[in-house]
Amino acid sequence: MDEIRFTLNGEAVAYDGSAADRLLDVLRDVYDDRSVKCGCKEGECGACAVLIDGELVNSCMVAMGAVDGSAVVTLEGYRETDRFRALDKAFAEVTAVQCGYCIPGMVLAAEATLAKHPHPTDDQIREGLSGNLCRCTGYNAIAQAVANAAEEANGLW
Amino acid sequence: MVDGFVPTTVEEALELKAKFPELVPYAGGTDLMVENRPEVDYLFLNRLCDLKHVTEDDEHIRIGSGVTFTKAIADPLVPQVMKDALVKIAAPAIRNAGTFGGNLGNGSAKADSVLVEYALGALIRVGSVDGDRTVPVHEFYRGRKQLDLAPNELILEVLLPKANLGPYYYEKVGGRRALAISRVAFCGVLTTEANADGNEVIRSISPSFGAVSGTVLRFPELERQFEGLTREQAAKQRLSFVTAYEDHLKLTEGRVSAAYRRQVCLNLLGAFLDAVGI
Repeated sequence: MDEIRFTLNGEAVAYDGSAADRLLDVLRDVYDDRSVKCGCKEGECGACAVLIDGELVNSCMVAMGAVDGSAVVTLEGYRETDRFRALDKAFAEVTAVQCGYCIPGMVLAAEATLAKHPHPTDDQIREGLSGNLCRCTGYNAIAQAVANAAEEANGLW
Repeated sequence: MVDGFVPTTVEEALELKAKFPELVPYAGGTDLMVENRPEVDYLFLNRLCDLKHVTEDDEHIRIGSGVTFTKAIADPLVPQVMKDALVKIAAPAIRNAGTFGGNLGNGSAKADSVLVEYALGALIRVGSVDGDRTVPVHEFYRGRKQLDLAPNELILEVLLPKANLGPYYYEKVGGRRALAISRVAFCGVLTTEANADGNEVIRSISPSFGAVSGTVLRFPELERQFEGLTREQAAKQRLSFVTAYEDHLKLTEGRVSAAYRRQVCLNLLGAFLDAVGI
């Protein structure tokens, strides 16, 4: 095949670079989705997490050929949703953000968690965020923010 | 796209692998992409629905090589002993992508699903354009990063023998709860059967040790000591059983010392014997 076709934040796109290129790099450098952060390049930090067909995946561990036919969502797309607004408010209210580097991945991990568990237990939240490292605020504020978002969501998830 | 292939059927994938044996099979990408080799031509298997099944027949639970760990955790057919290992692999984003075939194909003794496959005496079905063959997992691993897999073959399926399911003990020792690479991992399963006198005797016992050598370690010659014994009889021979393992556990140095690994292995062996009443 000649190009890799997928949707990025709902928009059909075609990538004609190498199938071995890393999704993380392509999202940042080709599509200018700079919310996708490069932390470790080995799946250990979650800063580059995106949703592929609704599932949380680290974009540093995805070659472009694997994206063909998929729906990719980054924070640039997700931030247009009511769910994002609920998480945004909840993160702000408990000061769950300091430097912010981990937050795009954290927010998408929160979305994946709440999509699976609309009324999550604390364990489910911590499990859902367990692949995302934060070195500023720590995890308690972030877990609290996700719990608060779920509680105030009014059926958003 | 001129440097990768996205087959839509297994047959097409096998034909491509026959024609271009240098293609690197790509399942979930979670190991491959750590290396991020731009010059590699991948054979993308992640779209092959034929490799994403979990089914059963009379003898086996059959898990397609493209089944992700997340999918397996949610599947009622997958044995709990396997799920106990899967839920401790990395974190959700990795489990959403990582597959049984990839965990095998990476060839590491730290592959947590592979450890359980050793303990269950799993069979690996591989295929090529010339046909399929099935090989026991302990023969599939010839050594560290060395697999019994020809350049034209692909891993198709993992077969877990139902007869080898029973009371088990699984433990993973890592540096943290999530995103941990096993420093030592242990899986052992006990199966029993009724002997001619109607007594419940040990049919098989499978202490298996992951992440401590070039491959997962299992010692069938030591396991035979307990075969055919009742649990009570086995318990009386426990000391000599454990001593034999002490003698056989020749471990490699890694992120932790061989001495530490050996002690942990023996502790876990003891915990397994406790758990199954020996």
